[in-house]
Amino acid sequence: MKLFACHWLAASSLLLSLLARAETRPQYGGTLRATMHAAPETLDPADNRVPDSFARRSVTSLLFDTLVTWNMGHAQPGLADSWQASKGNQRWQFRLRHGVKFHDGTPLTSEVAAASLRFANPAWSVRADGDSVIVDCDEPNPEMLAEVALSRNAIVKRDGEEKVSGTGPFHIVDWQLGKKLTLAAEEECWRGRPFLDGVEIEMGRTFRDEATALETGRADLVEIAPEQAHHFSPARGRLVSSAPAELMAIAFARDASSPDEKLLREALGLSVDRGSIHSVLLQGAGQPAGGLLPTWISGFGFVFSSQADLKKARQLRDQVHTARAWTIGYDASDPLARLLVERIALNAKDAALSLVPKAVGASDLRLMRIPLASSDPWIALGGLAAQTGLSKAKNNGTSVDELFTAEQAALASQRVAPLFHLPIFYAASASLRDWALRMDGSLDLANAWLGAAK
Amino acid sequence: MRKAIYNSAIPKANLKSVKQSSCRASRFRFAFWLGLVLSTTAAFAADWSAAEQQLAKKIVAVTGPGTLSLTVENHSSLGRRDSDLVQNGLRSALEQSGIHFAKSDQAAASVALTLSENENSYVWVAEIHQGAGESAIAMVSVPRSGRSGAASESMPITLRKIPLWAQDGRILDVAVLEENGTPSRIAVLGGEDVSVYHLQNGKWQIEQTLQTGHTRPWPLDVRGRLVPTMDHTLSAYLPGVICRMTVTAVPLTMTCHGSDDPWPIVSGTMTMNSSVFPSAGSSTATGPAVPALAGFFASTRNYFTGVLSPAVGKFSTVPKFYTAAFVPRETYTLWLFASADGKVHMVDGMNDQRSSFEWGSDIAGVRTACGAGSQVLATTSGDQAQDSIRAYEFPDRDPVAVSAAVDFPGPVSALWTEARGDSAIAIARNRDTGSYEAFRLSLACGQ
Repeated sequence: MKLFACHWLAASSLLLSLLARAETRPQYGGTLRATMHAAPETLDPADNRVPDSFARRSVTSLLFDTLVTWNMGHAQPGLADSWQASKGNQRWQFRLRHGVKFHDGTPLTSEVAAASLRFANPAWSVRADGDSVIVDCDEPNPEMLAEVALSRNAIVKRDGEEKVSGTGPFHIVDWQLGKKLTLAAEEECWRGRPFLDGVEIEMGRTFRDEATALETGRADLVEIAPEQAHHFSPARGRLVSSAPAELMAIAFARDASSPDEKLLREALGLSVDRGSIHSVLLQGAGQPAGGLLPTWISGFGFVFSSQADLKKARQLRDQVHTARAWTIGYDASDPLARLLVERIALNAKDAALSLVPKAVGASDLRLMRIPLASSDPWIALGGLAAQTGLSKAKNNGTSVDELFTAEQAALASQRVAPLFHLPIFYAASASLRDWALRMDGSLDLANAWLGAAK
Repeated sequence: MRKAIYNSAIPKANLKSVKQSSCRASRFRFAFWLGLVLSTTAAFAADWSAAEQQLAKKIVAVTGPGTLSLTVENHSSLGRRDSDLVQNGLRSALEQSGIHFAKSDQAAASVALTLSENENSYVWVAEIHQGAGESAIAMVSVPRSGRSGAASESMPITLRKIPLWAQDGRILDVAVLEENGTPSRIAVLGGEDVSVYHLQNGKWQIEQTLQTGHTRPWPLDVRGRLVPTMDHTLSAYLPGVICRMTVTAVPLTMTCHGSDDPWPIVSGTMTMNSSVFPSAGSSTATGPAVPALAGFFASTRNYFTGVLSPAVGKFSTVPKFYTAAFVPRETYTLWLFASADGKVHMVDGMNDQRSSFEWGSDIAGVRTACGAGSQVLATTSGDQAQDSIRAYEFPDRDPVAVSAAVDFPGPVSALWTEARGDSAIAIARNRDTGSYEAFRLSLACGQ
């Protein structure tokens, strides 16, 4: 079955519409209580010791701002109120908005903004120039606007190892590392004071705990595991989902060392019965994936078949004399991952391939869940390449053909076998209004408010 | 498919803000005006021919001239009509390139065309199968564009929605300064400025834009109101700021200062049944006068504090509220306050009655020659994707709907009674385009 971009675009537009209920004017006050599964150990968006996650992006957007924001394929002003490219997209100049202050009371300056971007992108040449920040690239970078809009490129004032200050709608009141984050409204926020007085986020919760917290009224906003979404009762709150913004895939630790190994990897990809895994283990959430990018981002994801072809898998396997057993790693804290790996190993066995699940330590391949970096296809593809060890695709032009060719080449390397594109699910109490999901799967709580539950 | 997005040029001499008007915005406003004032339905006729030719060329590059079978599946947001247009256009383009169509079992190649899309573009993907070999892929992308719509039902009074203005940037209020059948000169209160436009040869021409200075950031849900005053000036009330603007002399001038003075809820002008600006039209309403009333606005929030000036009977304070509406009676005025607690408080000077009816937070009173002579316009409360406004009368203490609900393309962000009292200005944010659209709401009797 093919599921297509328009469904997700339409669904997400509708979703955003439904969430943005402004028929009643926003009310000030109240503290939003949220829970999340992830337990980030830093609040610095550019700290690459901590993996990217939707939860981390959500927290970042509460505390920090980016120079521009990226929405439906277009840049919107953020901390930069104007920008321009020159030298064939090799030089980008961002003029900063005036009168913006960090939470510590110091003004936003081009020097601080430039230092922030340099910290996040050591390879970039970034400098301050009057009230502008200038980024010089080695080669044309038409994706620069989408790139500076990434969460990790949020403008951060760093004082010392762990002390960070932002310009976002909330400031930090208390931070219990990886456990609980307490935020308060920033009265002088340049975008206007948020409606909520504060936000409390409990971290490192199991999905079961999160659902219980919502049900018992201890939380207003929780994450729901994709495989649990099907069972969510509307009586417990409002369930919403993003477009498929996460890739679940098998990624090999290194490039194939021989043509034979490439054949075996292709056989593995063809052996996985994504359809039944999707129906049974994922309970219908998301979409089986044959490509790296979902159709709503690329427009052509359906071209890459996600159908299992056991006959062809066996033929490919038979072309290789010997095949050693591969170890397949997975996240031991994710109960779904173990089930998925076991099922994939069974599918592989049908193609005479041997996979040995391994929860800890190094492995030949790994089941990965990768949040797509952006709705910009080139940025998303680059992010996937960075996380899976694929060669970064070079964007030489602007055509859909070049994007298709780049994705085709990435798949042909047999470094990654896409499995599913998964949406992100959140559930909220009826009292939470005007919150939204961004296209990158993060929460937008800047305009959220708490009203009377209906 | 992609291209770098630029806004206005940075350099020094002529740095324009992103939100400032552009040719595109002007065209959009003109299209909005023409499209809606003339009550025509917007039709977005697209020209797909270039993309059809391009895709045909790519397909023929794979298959060469000969027989072909073509199937088309539309998985994009294109409507049936456009989908058919694309299919027919592609067939023509292929035929011009030497392709003859045949049934799949008789064709040398088969093409499965999928009309897909991504965030920016329609993406048309042709999967080409020839013999038993591998399939080939050809694709093109076409930039997407938007659209919108509306609806209504039948009731004793017709609530008319007359488009006044639309722009990308926020609109807080619009005042009609001159009109001759239709508005011909208007002032638009934006988030950061007031602009005056006049209609010339069917096109709105800007006269001047004046900045409304403020030192503190505006509240997120910033509100503002334009009120004509008796000395032929226009006052702009903003959170913690009042601006006064001359609109009769050229060039227009405006002075702003920090002020916590109360905002007019019903301005003194309405009670005199005359217009401040001679050519701005005057009310045809009759009946009891409505006393002037003002309320203090919380400068860092989106509501009135509840402190009234003058008091309504024994009530100098009511619960904090977003908007208010009047219902004139023979001997008193019943005031309705859409309170921040989500309820409507009915205050007659002696009692404050908390109602249970389900309205949104924006209401406005109008005096008309229809029905009971006065109506309350109220937004809806609920989970609808669109917002709507309906007119009500109060035979007693319960509202009775007297008009069909008029739909808006998105949430109503402002609803203010116009100075002349028989109409109101509603501002809505279009969910499809993100632009703000201002409408005059007037009532037509017995239609």
